[in-house]
Amino acid sequence: MKERMPNSSALMKQEFLKKWIKGLQIYSSFKKEMTIFERKKAIKLSADVAIASTRNASTHWSRALMSDVSTDDANHAAKIVVAQISGRKVEKYSSSKGLMMTCSNKILRRSRVASRCRRTRGVGTSVKARSIARKVVKNRTRVLKSLVPGGQEMDGVCLIKETLDYIASLRVQVDVMRHLAAAAERLDPPQRSIL
Amino acid sequence: MLNSVRFARNFGEYRVASLSKPSSHFRNLDFRRNCASRLTMEPKAEATQPHFRSGEMGFGLDEIHSLISGPPETGRNSFTALLELPPPQAVQLLVKEDFPAKHLPPPIFPSNIGLIDRASKRSFFASADNPPASNTILLASSSMKVEIVKQEPTDSQPHPNSASPAVSDQSPKSGKRKEREKKVKESNKKSKKVVANEASEDGGKKLPYVHVRARRGQATDSHSLAERARREKINARMKLLQELVPGCNKISGTAMVLDEIINHVQALQRQVEFLSMRLAAVNPRIDFNLDALLAAESGSSIDNDYMGMFTPTIWPEGQINGNRQLEYQQLWQGDELRQPGWSREEDTPNFITPETSHLSYDSSANSAPLHSSQLKMEL
Repeated sequence: MKERMPNSSALMKQEFLKKWIKGLQIYSSFKKEMTIFERKKAIKLSADVAIASTRNASTHWSRALMSDVSTDDANHAAKIVVAQISGRKVEKYSSSKGLMMTCSNKILRRSRVASRCRRTRGVGTSVKARSIARKVVKNRTRVLKSLVPGGQEMDGVCLIKETLDYIASLRVQVDVMRHLAAAAERLDPPQRSIL
Repeated sequence: MLNSVRFARNFGEYRVASLSKPSSHFRNLDFRRNCASRLTMEPKAEATQPHFRSGEMGFGLDEIHSLISGPPETGRNSFTALLELPPPQAVQLLVKEDFPAKHLPPPIFPSNIGLIDRASKRSFFASADNPPASNTILLASSSMKVEIVKQEPTDSQPHPNSASPAVSDQSPKSGKRKEREKKVKESNKKSKKVVANEASEDGGKKLPYVHVRARRGQATDSHSLAERARREKINARMKLLQELVPGCNKISGTAMVLDEIINHVQALQRQVEFLSMRLAAVNPRIDFNLDALLAAESGSSIDNDYMGMFTPTIWPEGQINGNRQLEYQQLWQGDELRQPGWSREEDTPNFITPETSHLSYDSSANSAPLHSSQLKMEL
């Protein structure tokens, strides 16, 4: 028997897989016959919830993801999945911070505008390259915020941290999913006439 | 820009007071809490790029690390080690006094007055004279349930460092500290001390105090100091991101790195979509029969640890797939010697052919490895 190395990445994968399968079981008990698209959505949602719950709501993106899923009224199964997988109350995920953040964001925005006016007036037309670079960075930050769940309410530092964590979790998710997909395909070659 | 050339500045000394072990949860944005160490960085031959290595980061970056590279280097570069502290930890650095000055344009990042205010509420104060020889940082990231104890070798002689003062953005920083920052002595000297208040206003939490010196030719008001500290924080994290995202190491400049990061995140998200579609297409039922999957995987290399859990998870759904299990069992026994037919495009470390899967499949289940039986219990 080969020696098993305790590996935190493997542990995370295990946890993710467990939770994901749990979610899938909930879905399958919920609805017997599903179209391929419904299946895909169920799979993806279970996977997302599972990977977010491996973080135990300690990161912004995981909380935002969970709250997004649970506040989606059209999807009752999703809520059940979230509740089961995370083991917590659904309300906990609806960000209590959200309101606070939006308020503070408005203030920040106002002050940002004010400071920008102040700054540009002072600087004059000195370094254009710098301001262009700044704009580029700002745009890209905005894009990144749109990508990371819950990114809108994060400041620069927090965004980067969350991105780090998010990327790592996404990698785990992709890894496990890929293995499962490959294994399932080996076993059961997909029928051509799916649709 | 990101190459921390900005770190190759003529910093004064950054001294950090010993701080108590933080108890804050990762959830707090204001992570930087106490770091009980004084860190030093090795003097860099090339003043341009201090070498940052990704060590372990509080919020579960040991996974990240195993994804990226081998064992982390600790102690070599305290800065990164600190940076990779979990959020609750403060980030502190030391900078050698005679580090060659190389002034760089500050990193361009959206700055907020609000953030600056929060950053300015960090306390700065002159610390004791000589840092202790070595300190231990306890990284208790309760959320991640990871506890890393680091020993930071500290040199008595400060090395050229880039410093990022400890930040505690915890909201109850009061105006008292701000006042202290305003009490900066204007001087024409190369350095300037910011004396902050020693006592912590809020009872329980001990806030990180950083002795900050302004660089030569830099603005010395508290706002720009705080802003600079914040920028350095951001740059430090960007370095970590650079190491995480493949192909980012050679790129210099925040904008390019951000671009790569965005591409990477988008690619990963697209992969998830695609894979879920693939899985949906595979079979008409979505409760996957892991027993069968185990059979299929027996010939292929997969991570040993999480293969073991395939088997136990089938037991809960045994009722559903009773018939299939039997036939897969036979199929699987025939597949024992099958070579891996598929190759993964990504290089993943520590994959071992799961010969143990044979054992774990035993229906008597008594030969199952310990943790797979644990999983069974859990399920």
